[in-house]
Amino acid sequence: MIGIVRNLASNSTLANLAQNTSASVSIETTLKSIGRPGFILIDKDIDPDTKQYAAAKEFLYQATCLAIYLAAIVPIFKHGGFKLAKEKLFKNTNGFEHFKDVNHYLHYRKLAENSVANRQATLQKELADKTKVSELYDKTLLDELKKETPEKFADVKGAIEFSNLIGSVLGLAIIAPQLSHAFIHPALKFLGLENKDKKEINQAKQTVDKMIKEHHKLEEKQKNIDIKA
Amino acid sequence: MGLADSIKKVCHKLGTNNKPTYVVMAIATVKGIARPTFTMMDKTENPETKKYTALREGLTEVIAIPAYWACGELSAKAAKKLFENKNAKEVINPALKKAQTNFMFVGVCTAALFVIPAVCSIVIKPIMDKLGLKTPEKKKQMQQKLDAISQVAPQPVVKPEVKPANNNYYVNTYMARPQMGLRVGGL
Repeated sequence: MIGIVRNLASNSTLANLAQNTSASVSIETTLKSIGRPGFILIDKDIDPDTKQYAAAKEFLYQATCLAIYLAAIVPIFKHGGFKLAKEKLFKNTNGFEHFKDVNHYLHYRKLAENSVANRQATLQKELADKTKVSELYDKTLLDELKKETPEKFADVKGAIEFSNLIGSVLGLAIIAPQLSHAFIHPALKFLGLENKDKKEINQAKQTVDKMIKEHHKLEEKQKNIDIKA
Repeated sequence: MGLADSIKKVCHKLGTNNKPTYVVMAIATVKGIARPTFTMMDKTENPETKKYTALREGLTEVIAIPAYWACGELSAKAAKKLFENKNAKEVINPALKKAQTNFMFVGVCTAALFVIPAVCSIVIKPIMDKLGLKTPEKKKQMQQKLDAISQVAPQPVVKPEVKPANNNYYVNTYMARPQMGLRVGGL
């Protein structure tokens, strides 16, 4: 039993996702977009109209943040950060010289993280297509991939993660909330959930009508008293 | 050491071990500064509501930062306990590193979904009450109702005065002593 738990806990795929900034942020935002509205809907202390409104607002906020993050922030910062680090910061050293772009590095890293048997099998398939291999791996990389534990080029990975981190911070803390506010209110109106003001005014009108009716009743009573007197 | 060297060092550190807590804590820190600033810059909202919202947003992020860190680190410690085996340390170590990352990630997700909303709902309201700040929604609702009433009602409704049933006309005419003429001995 403990063995199964240990195997699940040390799952390589999850570990890779957790070490990847954009993937982990995307998973957390997805969980928030489902979980938070769910908790609002479960809450029994809030009246149904407010619950529906708050849950829809929370879902739309998280969903638009995620969409903006995935569509704009991640590609811009991932590719831009790699290019900047390769050309300006590391000046084509520390492993950057082996890779053209981010996808090139990520393809290599994925292969390097595989078990030796899996890696060799994939490499054999790729070796069949010689043009692809020469495009993807130079001599150093091919030699590394043949080793038991290939070099993973921590600086390259770190540069990608650092630019992703900056992108995530700027995107999720500054850009996405501002843009999502512009989208949320029209969306809530479209769903018919943002007419709370009208409801409250109608309620107030009803209260005033009741008060006026009571006033008229009191006036009539007063008249009757005066007549009797 | 220049800025470039510092960035290189950060890159190397993130490339070797990118903890899931780093990014969420960074986001929470910037949110804690940016969101209250944006709220205070909003010119359409009234100052009291702005103050309330900005403080609430700031407090939420102040709670979020240690919560992310604590949940992440505690989860990683739990993973260490699960994999603790002195007899086979070398065999288990690579798996332990992965498990620590996984547990930390789960801890961060738990903090975002459960811990932070729970702590905020317990802690923020008493702090706001202590600072004398009331929920702007309640104030807004009251104001909207009052506005609506003042728009609809043409005149303020005054409850008519009801005369006493026995018509006692002598109540206001009773005098304990004469109010005019000579009064002797200051009586």
